[in-house]
Amino acid sequence: MSTTADTADHTPVFSVDGLWKVFGPKADRIPGDPELAALGPAELRARTGCTAAVRDVGFDVRKGEVFVVMGLSGSGKSTLVRCLTRLIEPTAGTIAIDGEDVRAMDKARLRALRRHRAAMVFQHFGLLPHRTVLDNVAYGLQIQGVGKNERRERAAEVVAKVGLAGLEQRRPAQLSGGQRQRVGLARALVVDPEVLLFDEPFSALDPLIRRDMQEEVVRLHREEGRTMVFITHDLGEALKLGDRIALMRDGRVVQLGTPEEIVGSPADDYVRAFVRDVPREQVMTVRTAMRPAASAEEAGSGPAVRPDATVSEAIEAVARAGGPARVLDGGRCLGVVDSEALLDVVAGVTAGGRAAGGAPGSKSPGEAPAGLRVPAALATTGEEPV
Amino acid sequence: MAAITATARKASAPGVLTRPAARKLLALALVAAILVPLATARWASGSWPEALTVDASGPLAGASDWIIDNRDSHPLFLYFFGHVSNLVVVTVRAVYLALLAVGWAGVTALAGLVAWRVAGIRLALGTAVAFLACGLLGMWVPTMQTLALMVVAVTASVVVGALLGLAAGLSDRMDRVLRPVLDTMQVLPAFAYLLPVVLIFGIGVPAAVLATVVYAAPPMARLTALGLRGADKEVLEAVESLGTTARQRLLTARIPLARRELLLGLNQTIMMALSMAVIASVIGAGGLGDRVYQALASVDVGAALAAGIPIVLLAVVLDRVTGAAGANLGQAPRPRTHWLYVVVGAAVVAAAGRLTARLEWPDGWVVSLVEPVNRAVGWMTDHLYSGVPVIGGTADWAARFTTWVLDPIRDGLQWLPWWSVLLVVATLAWLIGTWRTALTAVLAMAAIGVLGVWNPSLDTLSQVLAAVAVTLVVGFATGIAAARSDRVDRLLRPVLDVFQTMPQFVYLIPVVALFGVGRAPAVAAAVVYALPAVVRITAQGLRQVDPAALESARSLGATSAQQLRQVQLPLARPALLLAVNQGVVLVLAVVIIGGMVGGGALGYDVVFGLAQGDLATGLVAGAAIVCLGLMLDRVTQPTERRAKKGA
Repeated sequence: MSTTADTADHTPVFSVDGLWKVFGPKADRIPGDPELAALGPAELRARTGCTAAVRDVGFDVRKGEVFVVMGLSGSGKSTLVRCLTRLIEPTAGTIAIDGEDVRAMDKARLRALRRHRAAMVFQHFGLLPHRTVLDNVAYGLQIQGVGKNERRERAAEVVAKVGLAGLEQRRPAQLSGGQRQRVGLARALVVDPEVLLFDEPFSALDPLIRRDMQEEVVRLHREEGRTMVFITHDLGEALKLGDRIALMRDGRVVQLGTPEEIVGSPADDYVRAFVRDVPREQVMTVRTAMRPAASAEEAGSGPAVRPDATVSEAIEAVARAGGPARVLDGGRCLGVVDSEALLDVVAGVTAGGRAAGGAPGSKSPGEAPAGLRVPAALATTGEEPV
Repeated sequence: MAAITATARKASAPGVLTRPAARKLLALALVAAILVPLATARWASGSWPEALTVDASGPLAGASDWIIDNRDSHPLFLYFFGHVSNLVVVTVRAVYLALLAVGWAGVTALAGLVAWRVAGIRLALGTAVAFLACGLLGMWVPTMQTLALMVVAVTASVVVGALLGLAAGLSDRMDRVLRPVLDTMQVLPAFAYLLPVVLIFGIGVPAAVLATVVYAAPPMARLTALGLRGADKEVLEAVESLGTTARQRLLTARIPLARRELLLGLNQTIMMALSMAVIASVIGAGGLGDRVYQALASVDVGAALAAGIPIVLLAVVLDRVTGAAGANLGQAPRPRTHWLYVVVGAAVVAAAGRLTARLEWPDGWVVSLVEPVNRAVGWMTDHLYSGVPVIGGTADWAARFTTWVLDPIRDGLQWLPWWSVLLVVATLAWLIGTWRTALTAVLAMAAIGVLGVWNPSLDTLSQVLAAVAVTLVVGFATGIAAARSDRVDRLLRPVLDVFQTMPQFVYLIPVVALFGVGRAPAVAAAVVYALPAVVRITAQGLRQVDPAALESARSLGATSAQQLRQVQLPLARPALLLAVNQGVVLVLAVVIIGGMVGGGALGYDVVFGLAQGDLATGLVAGAAIVCLGLMLDRVTQPTERRAKKGA
């Protein structure tokens, strides 16, 4: 999550623009026809018998970031990720990997892309039941024509890296769900791909195992800094892993932004309803609650927090010190946060002249604790829609 | 639009017509009202009208004569069938000689060790004992003859079946073409395949092997295609996402993923090949089947049993060993005997046998069953055939069954006007299936009339109907009992397992011993053969009824009879329909073979045609068998095509 800012201006790994995937008879005509393209899912099906799984989607995946595509089932997210390596052939639009047009690739170039540049992890693992763990992991290398000894050696390293050492000779049927997905992860890692694609990899796992696996992914990303595209329907997972999140509904991206932007400034009611129950203090950073230091004294004393620290971390610091905390970036004081500003963030009410998501009146009662002070002046100035 | 008109029609139609069955019946009645008066006016006769028959025997006899005359000179035979024929003869001979050269000890050791490697120590011992038993019964040489034929036929069947299955599994078009053909081949009685091969190859080993291949390859093809098509989609997608070529996908994923189906296909192919290899004794297969055939022809039950027991042993061993290979797939790889040990072990035993000059089964070790069995049969003939107080004798039963059941059904069918038979066929097929199946069934039945074998076919049909009725009554009752009581299920399971593996031919031996020859024994054999499948499908269907539905019925206070009648039987309807279909198909197969033990009708025509060299008669009868099989299958075919044979 820390790499976003440093690499923001490099060429994107994946660059997707105007992407459509329509299933059904004569699907080609729909993206080009503005009238048909504007129809809702039910109308489109009634008129043409087609289903548009992905509608006019565009985004860039930056190098080194974890790009999360999230949406409910049927929102088209799994279709979208399959379009990236043309496991599903897109209907219209452009996809480029490092500036190279994926849709124009011939079979051999496409195979090379799948072999070396983008590896995928699947929801139901997709392991070969007749092979051992080691041979499943080595499978991608075998496909590339790597010799038996070398591929087993490399596979064994990756197996150890994902924490499966000692299980090399087991069959997939003898493993637990979490272990199987570690095999799936190792199989994708062993080919050393430029980008890892995850298709709801942990949805089929128990909650505790899921958390372990999420931490495994965070750890891998921290250690290797590999670009990842991560599909999920779990908002918590998206917020936890994503540097940026694209939220999909009915085939369209309804909002694209950092977790903080999604939670702090939902683009529409759908997103707002989606993020309503998110514990904001764990997503929002102190930047949101920060105000300029009122005096040199304030800027020079008090506990220090990083600018990307979460509000909940700042609350702890402020509560322990009993006074405002300074936001320090490499020794330079960017501003201060005090308990009032932090509470405003938790409550989801506007603070510091910025809108943190709609008028207080539109909040559900559960979100704004009773008796919380809402400064009338601030509330009115912050009513501009985001 | 469609919805509106449908509801409108529903509202305006009288109440009866809202049921699809009633609509179908009405449509059929309309058609009949127009066609029947026309038909009766032109061809008024009870049996199939002469005017509508085409005498196929003349041209067929001509074709048969032409083939016999030109077999040695025509290029097609010289350069194609001749080579095929020679190749088959040479390979069967080579395998046979190799088996003899390895000697009885070597073959037994090899079989045992292979079974050990594939299926574990218990089956290995069973295999060895089975082979020794074949020797003990004095049947070593016929067993090796049958085995040699089997090796060649199974290899060819597997290759042909796997190639066809590969084509159907990879290409949708091939699948659409092959599937109906394979489905139909699977329901035809074995006897139907004999005549066409004999026509081309003459009686002998090549004809026997090729008939076996034609009969045994379809299950391999079907299951190969099924396995290739049924592979886990996500695994294939994952494999594709790694950048595999189509060839890599096939070799490293699709075929390995289909291993279970491939092994099941191998198992079914072996069982069908054995079944056919035994029946093909009628066209010169030799070996065990020939011994049974000869013995049955002279009603020598002892000799038939001596050859029949090795057939059963071979069947059980082959089934269990290949079945175990399939069952072991999903489990943990356990340390197994290496193939090298298998080869070395067998070679050592074979060499020992050769050095001690004991290649042939020693004459002194033969225990003859013939005398004691024939004495027992003689005693049965004297004491049980007739005149047993109160219950009567077995021959009495057979006679009574013939007089009171078979004769009335046959006479009734033959008395019915021909068009009414067609009408009944159409009604049944349409009610159960679609208009397509009804059309196929009617055309098949009409073809029988056109071929001029209306009366013998109705004779066969009467035996089939009687046997099916008995099979279903007994089968459903037993199936229900097995579904309701675990103890009955446990008791029945091993019996059903053995009965389902035995080749059709073997069933004729005990019924001849009990009932003599005639139509009743043929029916009895058919019942015994079809019963296990019907019982098993019924019991499985009832047991697989949704437990939640059953539980809710119980919670409402339903008695167990109410549960059975109102929940289990209605919900198990697809299984019961499948049981009927399988029952009919299996009964037909054996009723036809029953022609060899006095069943008469179509089966007898085939045997007669073969024995007399009158291929035309046999071919016509064979074609009628095909039509009858097709008709019976379609009439009992539920709308949805079943995935695979239930038996």
